[in-house]
Formats: sequence, C-alpha cells, structure tokens
Amino acid sequence: MYYAGVDIGSTMTKVVVMADDVVSSVIGPTGAEHRRLANKVIEDALGKADISFDDVSYVVATGYGRINVPFADKQITEITCHARGVYSLFPSVRTIIDIGGQDAKGIKIAGGKVVNFVMNDKCAAGTGRFIEVIAETLGLSLEDMGQLSLKAGSCAKISSTCTVFAEQEVVSRIAEGVAIEEVVAGIHDAIAVRIYRMVERVKVERDVVVTGGVAKNIGMIKALEDKLGFPVLVPQEPLLTGARGAALLGKELVEKAIQSGQPIQRASRRLEEATFFE
Amino acid sequence: MAYFCGIDIGSVTAKMVVIDDGELILHHVIPSGHNYREAAVKGMEGLLAKGGLSVDDIAYTVSTGYGAANVATAAESVTDISCCARGVHCTFPTVRTVVDVGGQASKAIRVNEEGRATNFVVSERCAAGSGRFLQIIARVLQVPLADVGPLSLTSQNPIIYTTGCAVFGESEAISRVAEGTPMEDIIAGVHNAIAAKISNLIDRVGLEQECALTGGGALDVGLVKRVEDRIGVTFLVPPHPQITAAFGAALIARERATALV
Repeated sequence: MYYAGVDIGSTMTKVVVMADDVVSSVIGPTGAEHRRLANKVIEDALGKADISFDDVSYVVATGYGRINVPFADKQITEITCHARGVYSLFPSVRTIIDIGGQDAKGIKIAGGKVVNFVMNDKCAAGTGRFIEVIAETLGLSLEDMGQLSLKAGSCAKISSTCTVFAEQEVVSRIAEGVAIEEVVAGIHDAIAVRIYRMVERVKVERDVVVTGGVAKNIGMIKALEDKLGFPVLVPQEPLLTGARGAALLGKELVEKAIQSGQPIQRASRRLEEATFFE
Repeated sequence: MAYFCGIDIGSVTAKMVVIDDGELILHHVIPSGHNYREAAVKGMEGLLAKGGLSVDDIAYTVSTGYGAANVATAAESVTDISCCARGVHCTFPTVRTVVDVGGQASKAIRVNEEGRATNFVVSERCAAGSGRFLQIIARVLQVPLADVGPLSLTSQNPIIYTTGCAVFGESEAISRVAEGTPMEDIIAGVHNAIAAKISNLIDRVGLEQECALTGGGALDVGLVKRVEDRIGVTFLVPPHPQITAAFGAALIARERATALV
C-alpha cells in the first residue's frame, strides 16, 4: 500500500510517497499562480517510484494551498502534519521552529501531539522572504548566504522589524564599507531575534527541531542557536517534514479503518491542476 | 532685511524654506539621496539661487528631520515633531491633531493653541504605514506617484490586502495584476491599508478637531480621501504639505534669532 503526503507551500510543493518507509520524494515549485504546478510535482514523485496515481491508497494534502485540491482524499493543517513528520524522525522533540518562504511557526509538542503553536504570516520580517529579499539585493544565492555568514568576525546591526527598511539598511552598510559577510550575519541575527521572540510565547523546550527551507541555511541555524543558547536538531530534508507527516497521517487513517473494519473515507480524486482563484 | 531658514532632511526628500519677518518666501525640495550632507548643501544652493540670496543673508538656520545632524550651516536642530506642529499651527491655528505621512514614517501629533506638540506617536518600524508602501506598489504598476491619487479616486472596488506587510502586499499586487484587477483598485487598496494604520496612530494620541494632513503623503488626493473616509472627519491640507516641518523649523529659527537680539 502506498500513501502520499502533499505539502503545498507558498513557494514550493513537497511530495512524499510512502509504503512502510519513504519510497520517493520531490520538491518542486508551487508556481506563480498558486498550486498550478502542484499536480506536476505529484506526477514526478509517482514517476520516481514507478507507481501510478491509482496505486496510492490515500493522499493527504497540507500547507497553505491545501484547500480544494482535486487530488487529495483529505486535508490536514500543516501544524498537525509538521508535528507528525518531525516526531517520527525525532521522538525527543518538544519544540518545532518551522521557517518557510512566507511564514514562520513555533509548535509545541508533548508525546507527539501538538499542544500549542504560534505563527507569523502577517509580516515578511522573520520569514524566508526576508532572506530572499536581502539575497537579491546583495546579488547572492540563498545557498551562499549561510556559508558566507560563517566567515564573519562580527555582526552588522540590522533592524529586525521590517524587510523594506532592513533592505535599505543593508544598502547603507555596504556603502559604508561593512564587509558583506558581516552584513549577512546581521541579517541572520535579525531573523533569529524575530523568531526567538515569537517562539518564546510558547516557551521553548528541548529538543528543538528546525524545519522549513530556511533550516538549510547553516548561518541561520547558528544564529538561532546563539539566541536559544543550545544546539538544535535539523532533519536531513527539512523541507519534507510536512509532507512526510501528511503521508504518515494518511497511513494511520487507512490502517485504523482496516483494523476496525470500517470503509476508508476516500474522495473522488483526480490528478488535475488546482486553481487558486476559482 | 533678515532671512531665516528651515532645513528638513527627510529619508526620501530634503526640504528647504526661507522666511522673512512675515510669510514664507521661498521653498525648495530635492531628493535626499545617499549623502545627506551633500543634499543639504545642494538644496541650500538651489534655494538661495531661486531668491537671488546669498548665505550671508540668512540670519539663523534650524535643521530638522531624519538627517538633521548633517546640516553644517544650522545653528541648532529641533525635532521634526516640534517643527511640524509649529508649521501647521502657523498655517492653521485651529488645528489640534496633525497626521504627517512621510517617505518612511507616519506620525500623529497633538498640537495645543500655542503650536506646541503635546503628544505624538510615530510609526517608523514598518513600511506598510508610510509612503514607502505606496512607492513600492506604484513601481509594480509603473504609475508615476503624481498619478496615484487621481487614479485611486476613480476606484469602485478597492482590493483588501490580506496582510499588513508591504513586502507581502507587493506580491499580492503582482498577483492582482495577473488576474486583471484594475490598477485603480490595487492603488485604492494601498490607500485604505495606510489609512487603517493612520487610524491606529490617531487612536493612540486621541483625535481633537480640527485635523490636518501633512508630509509628502498629503500631496496624494487619493490618500487624503481614504483617510477622511476612514476617520470620518475633514482634513485640512496646507498649500505645500511636504515642507510643513521645514517651514516650522524656519519659524523656530526666526524666534531664536529674535530672542538673541
């Protein structure tokens, strides 16, 4: 039996196909017109595993773009899916910090269950978007930002409250002759300040697992560890924890139904493109 | 004849004003650029040339604004809050609440019958409450800032931005353009978003009529209209709203010079 988890984020769509373990996973763009490309990412993932859409017993969609997708049996919030996915990888997790392309979340876990969460999706500062804007201003790739900041001897002071104003500050610092690695370290510090302030509202407890695309940035992880005062854990594929959790939750639903002899509640799904504005 | 000068170095534009014993006689506005010191010098040259004056004709100069410290010719600098209050008071003595919408900050100021600021709040930490948001969206739409106001007035269905963030707002505006939403609705939506932030500022200082709107934002008739609709009162707008603080600085310069004599 196969199970698929589809995490449709603002920027990327992530798909994990599982049997007993992960059989394939793909990360692809969501597309400028949200979710237009999500079905292509599923096709890719199925193609990689060499199975057809009909072979998949259950599909769970999650993430920002999960509503009204024609290819899912069920929608589950990304908070629940992230928690499930991370818990399966790190049973010691108590706090998840997820930093995505356009939001950031702090999720508190007890015994694998979500007990509390905080979220910022109202302001670009403190999200991946902040780093993207600055990377573009500096003409750096996102991959370079992390490595570059590790070389910094000190950290430029950049305001953490507004992406637009921070961008302006970055231009000024560079003009003043501040080394680029110090500016980048300052950017990571500014985000870490924002994130730390947010997750403190749910009281951070160890172990802390950092997920989302921003977790791939080693400089950002270091900055967060500086603020927290202890090391954090990062999954090998920090973008895939939501999709992994979605697939696992689908698997559990099916197994539960089989055990109790109940029919599996499936939607009449089609592998078609979903449109955001309908 | 003695002349008094007020120089307001803002984050986006530098404003210079010269007054004599009576009214405002000269004003000049240039972009602040990246070098405020240079902007102050160039702005003064432009201003003096306009009136055929020389530096020696200026008896006293007060600087104000974000870059006030960069004006070498100023005898002193005074906060933009005090200068704005003074400038508005001279033009409209009955005004008790001033909203100043600048390039990167918005302010709400309570003014007493003597033209002194008694209370104020500043929003300078988030671009969405300032003229900056409008500049970002105007750039997306490739509309000159001067056309933004008149276009906004024609909007029947302003869009509602889902967040209060200028960066996310920019993405939303791009999506709306792709959807074919009329430009005026996208702009009017920005005006409404800024008006909402201004309304919060006013709530924090308390509203007392009359009200005035100043700063570069007050040049935008669309913004003025949306603020008036939101707050439910008419706002007085000085003939040159952008130079209000510079004018106030010049008034303070005259006061100081007179006290010295």
